[in-house]
Amino acid sequence: MTGFLVQQLVNALTIGAIYALIALGYTMVYGVLRLINFAHSEMFMVGGHVAFFLLAATASLAGGALGVLVVFAIFVVTFIAVGLLGVGIEATAYRPLRRSSRLAPMLSALGVAIILQNVVMLFVSRRPLPFPAFVPAVSFDVFGAIVTLNQIFIVVFAVALMLGLAWFVNATTLGIRIRAVSENMQTARLLGINVNRPISLIFFIGPGLGAIAGILYSGYYGIVVFSMGFIVGLKAFIAAILGGIGSIPGAMLGGFALGLLETFGAGLLPKLTHGFIGSEYRDIFAFSVLVVVLIFRPAGFLGETVTEEGMVYKRDF
Amino acid sequence: MTSETGATTPFLPAAKSRAGRLRAVAIVAIALALLLYGVPGLPTYYVRVIDMVLIYVLLGVGLNMVVGYAGLLDLGYVAFYAIGAYTYAILASGQFDIHLPFSLLLVVGGGLAGLAGVLLGIPVLRLRGDYLAIVTLGFGEIVRLFMNNLGWMTNGPQGISRIDEPHLFGMGLNSPRDFFFLLLPFVVAALTIAWRLECSILGLGWAAIREDQDAARGIGIDTTVAKLLAFGLSATFGGVAGVIFAALQRFVDPVSFSFWESLTIVLIIVIGGLGNLVGIVVGAAVLIVVPELLREYSEYRMLLYGCALVLIILLRPRGLIERRYNPAWLMRTLGWR
Amino acid sequence: MKRFLLMTTLAGVALAGAAPAFADMTIGTAGPLSNAEALFGNTWQNGMQLAIDEANAAGGVNGQKLVLVRQDDQGDPKQGTLLAQKFCDDDSIVAVVANFNSGVTIPSSDVYNRCGMPQVTNSSNPKVTAAGYQNLFRPIANDFMQGGAPADYALQTLGAKTAAIVHDKQAFGEGVATVFKETFEKGGGKVTSYSGVTATDVDFSAVITQLKTENPDVVYYGGTMPGVGLFLKQLRELGLKSTFFAADPAFLPDLITTAGTANAAGAVVSFQAPPYDANPKLKKFSEDYRKAFNEEPGPYSAYGYNEASVIIEAMKRAGADVTRESIVKELHNTKLDGLMGQVEFDDKGELKQPTLFLYKVEGDGFVLEWPKS
Repeated sequence: MTGFLVQQLVNALTIGAIYALIALGYTMVYGVLRLINFAHSEMFMVGGHVAFFLLAATASLAGGALGVLVVFAIFVVTFIAVGLLGVGIEATAYRPLRRSSRLAPMLSALGVAIILQNVVMLFVSRRPLPFPAFVPAVSFDVFGAIVTLNQIFIVVFAVALMLGLAWFVNATTLGIRIRAVSENMQTARLLGINVNRPISLIFFIGPGLGAIAGILYSGYYGIVVFSMGFIVGLKAFIAAILGGIGSIPGAMLGGFALGLLETFGAGLLPKLTHGFIGSEYRDIFAFSVLVVVLIFRPAGFLGETVTEEGMVYKRDF
Repeated sequence: MTSETGATTPFLPAAKSRAGRLRAVAIVAIALALLLYGVPGLPTYYVRVIDMVLIYVLLGVGLNMVVGYAGLLDLGYVAFYAIGAYTYAILASGQFDIHLPFSLLLVVGGGLAGLAGVLLGIPVLRLRGDYLAIVTLGFGEIVRLFMNNLGWMTNGPQGISRIDEPHLFGMGLNSPRDFFFLLLPFVVAALTIAWRLECSILGLGWAAIREDQDAARGIGIDTTVAKLLAFGLSATFGGVAGVIFAALQRFVDPVSFSFWESLTIVLIIVIGGLGNLVGIVVGAAVLIVVPELLREYSEYRMLLYGCALVLIILLRPRGLIERRYNPAWLMRTLGWR
Repeated sequence: MKRFLLMTTLAGVALAGAAPAFADMTIGTAGPLSNAEALFGNTWQNGMQLAIDEANAAGGVNGQKLVLVRQDDQGDPKQGTLLAQKFCDDDSIVAVVANFNSGVTIPSSDVYNRCGMPQVTNSSNPKVTAAGYQNLFRPIANDFMQGGAPADYALQTLGAKTAAIVHDKQAFGEGVATVFKETFEKGGGKVTSYSGVTATDVDFSAVITQLKTENPDVVYYGGTMPGVGLFLKQLRELGLKSTFFAADPAFLPDLITTAGTANAAGAVVSFQAPPYDANPKLKKFSEDYRKAFNEEPGPYSAYGYNEASVIIEAMKRAGADVTRESIVKELHNTKLDGLMGQVEFDDKGELKQPTLFLYKVEGDGFVLEWPKS
C-alpha cells in the first residue's frame, strides 16, 4: 500500500508540474487583460512540434555533454520561437479588440486555436509523432514505487522555472511594470508606462512557458500530436482558476492540486469504494471539487478575495 | 426603476396606429407564408440545414437571456440542451420501453432543464464574471460525463438509438420538412417571449444587473430572484431545443453535447450581436451555414472556418448586427408603431 | 473599408460554397477528417481512393469514370445526418461509404434508408444493423468478433485465468471491451477489474498503478490510438508484465514507435486482414498505397479499399442501369474475393464469414500469431 500511495503521489506531481507551467500562461494573461486565452493550449502543442523537429535535426549530436547543451539550446530556441508567435498573435488578433467587449477577444482566441490546430494537422502531420526521450531512461525504486529520472527532471525543472518567474515579476523593473499594468491598466498608463510593452512581454513569456511544458509533456509521454492541446489546456486553465486566477503561486498550487485530484480520483476512488465508483468518474470528481472550491472560495485558493464592493469592473463584459 | 415618462425609451410604445399595425401584421404574415411555402419547396438538405439553424436560434435565444440580458457568462449551456434531449430519448424509446407522447415530453424536458437551471443558479449566485463561467463550464462537463458513465440509464457512449418518431395532433413528424413546420412556431414564440421579457420590468431588472449589480440592488431589485429567473427561463429554452433535436435525430449520444457545443452557442450570440434578438437569428444562420458552405474544401474546412471566425470578430467585434437594428427597429420599420 | 472587408469575407465564403457540381457517377464518403481521429478518417478514405483510381485506370464502370467525394463529418452525429441528406439530394451520388463512427452511422442510416442510398459502413457496433435496413451493408466484422476472438485466444492458447479490462468510454472501445469481458467470463476466466478512462487521456498511471495490485494474466485495452500506445508504454514502465491485447486501431507502426520497441514486444493486436505479405493482392495493395500517398497504410486503409471495391463490383454487375436501386440489389448478391477474404452478406447486411487475425509485435513489425496456418 505504501508503494501504491507513493507511486500515485509521484504520478500526480509529474502531471501537476506540467499543468502548473501551462497554467502560468493563462494566469498572467488573465491577470492583465482579463482574457480567457483559448489559444494558449495550442502554444503548448506548437512548442512540442517545434522541439520535435529541432531534436530530429540535431539527432546526431545527442548523448554526452554536448547532447545536454544541445537539449538546453533547443529549450531556449523553442521558448523564443513560440514566444514570438504569441506576441504576433496578440498584436494581430487581440490588440485590436482591447477596447471592445471582453467576449470578443476570447472568441477570437478560440478562432486562433482552431487555425493553429488545423494548420499543424494539414501541413505538419496528422499522425502522432514519436518524440525522442531526451532524458536517460533511468529509474529508481523509492518505497516500492518506480520513479524515473524524467519525472524528477520535469518536477525540478518546472519548479525552477516557476521560481524564476516569481523572482522576475517581483524583483525586476520589467516585472514591476507587469504588475502595475495587471493591477490597473489606466493608472499604469497615467504613470507613464507604455502598457503595450508589458503586455507583449506577457504574451512572450506565457506562450514560451507553455511551449516548455509542451516539450516536457511530449518527452514524458513520448508522443506529439496536433490534437493534444485542447484538453490539457482546459485542465491547465482549470488549475489556474482553482489556484486563484491572476496569481502566480496560485497557478503552481492549482496545477499540483489538480494533478493530485485526478490521480486520487482515478486511482484511489475505485479502491476506496471497492469498484463502485470507477476510474471513469475521475473527471466528474475533479470538476465537482472545482465547483465546490469556487462556491466556498469564489476567488480560488490564493486569488484576491473579490468583494462586491471591491470590484473595479462593475460590468463583466 | 422604470421611467414612466419614457416616451423616449424604445421600450414603451408611442401612439399606436391601427392601420400601421394592420400593415405590420400583413407584412409579417406574408413573410411567414413565403417561408412556409418556399422553404419546403427547397431540396431536403437545405431544409435540414434550416432546421439546424432554427434549433440554434432557440438555443441562442435561451442563452442570450443569461449572457446578453443579465450579463452572466454561462459556458455550460449545453447541459440543458443535453437534459432535454436525454429526457426525450429515455422516455420515448426502447431503452426502458417507455413511450410517452412528444407533446408531454416537450413540457417535461423543458421543465426538467428549467429546474436544473435554477438548481445550478442557487449555488453560483455569489460568483461573478469568469468564475461563474468556469463553474458553469464544470457543470456542463459533469452533466456530459454522467451521460457517458451512467450506462444503465443513458446507454453510455453507445448512445440511445431508435428513439420514437414524434407525433403531434395525430400526425407523425418524420421528415426535415415536418420539423420545419414544428420549429418555426417555436422559434417565433421564443423570439416573442424573449422580446416581451426584454421590455418587461424583469428585463429592465436584468439590464440593471448587467450594468451594475450593486446599484441594481441599491434601487431595490431582488437580484437573487432576477438571476434565478434568468437561469431557469434560459435553461427551459435549452431543454425544449434538446427535445426537438432528439426527436429530429432519433439518436442521442454524449458526443453531441461537448464543451465545443456550448462554445458554438456563445459564438452565435456574440457574432450576431450580444443581447440583440435580430443578431441571434443572423448569428445562428452564419455559424451553421458557413461551415456547410465550406464543405467542398473537405479537410481544409475547419481551417477556413477558423479564419472566417477571426476575421468576422476582428471586423465586427460588437457583432454583425448593430444594436440599433433590434426588434424595436424592425417593428418601427414595419409600421407597428 | 471595414464594411467592405466584411462583405468580401462573407461573399468569399458564399462563393466558395457554390463550388463545382459532381460528375456523373459519384461515390460519397463521410468520416472524421479534422478532429482527433483525423488520421483514421483520412487513411480510411485514402484506401477508397486507391480502389477507385484502380477501377478508373482499368476503364471505369461501363466506360464511365468514378469520382469519390470525401467529406468531413468530424465524428459528429449532427453533421453526419446533414451530410447524409446532402448526398441523398445529389442525384449523381449513387452510393456512399459512411460513416466511420458508430454514433454517426446510426442516425445517418435513417436518412440514407429514406432515399434508398446504398450505404456501406465501417462502424463495427452491433447496433448499427439493428434496424434491419436493406440498403445498409457492413463488409467488416462487428464487435462480437473483434472482442470475442482475443478472449478465446487468451483463455485457450495462453491459458490465462485473470484479465483486467480498460476501455476509453467511447462507443467502439466500450463495445469491444464489453464483448471481451463477457466472452472471457463465459470461458471460465476471472475479470479482476473493468475500468473506463477518458478517450483524450494521455496519463494512465493512476489506473495502471491500481492494476499492478491485481497482477492479472492479461490486460485488454479497448480504445484507439494514440491512447493504446501510451497505455502500453506506461504499463511496461510501471513494471506490469501481463500480456497486452488491443483492437484494430492499434494495428499501426505508430503503436511500436509510441510505446517503444522493448515495451511493445509481445503485445497482441487483432486485425481483420491477413498479413500484408500473405497474398499478392495485399502485397500489391500496401505497395500501391505507399506509392500513392507516400506513407504506410493506416489501420483502416485496407477496410476502406475493401468497402469501395464491394460497391464498384456491384456497379459493374448492375450493367447498363447503374442506379441506387440496382446497386442495392446487386450488393445483396455480392460474392467478392476481397482484399481481406470472401465478402458475402446475410439478409441483415452483415458479413457472412467475418475473419479476424491476431498479430504479435516482434521487433519493429507485426507477426501473425493466430490462426497459425
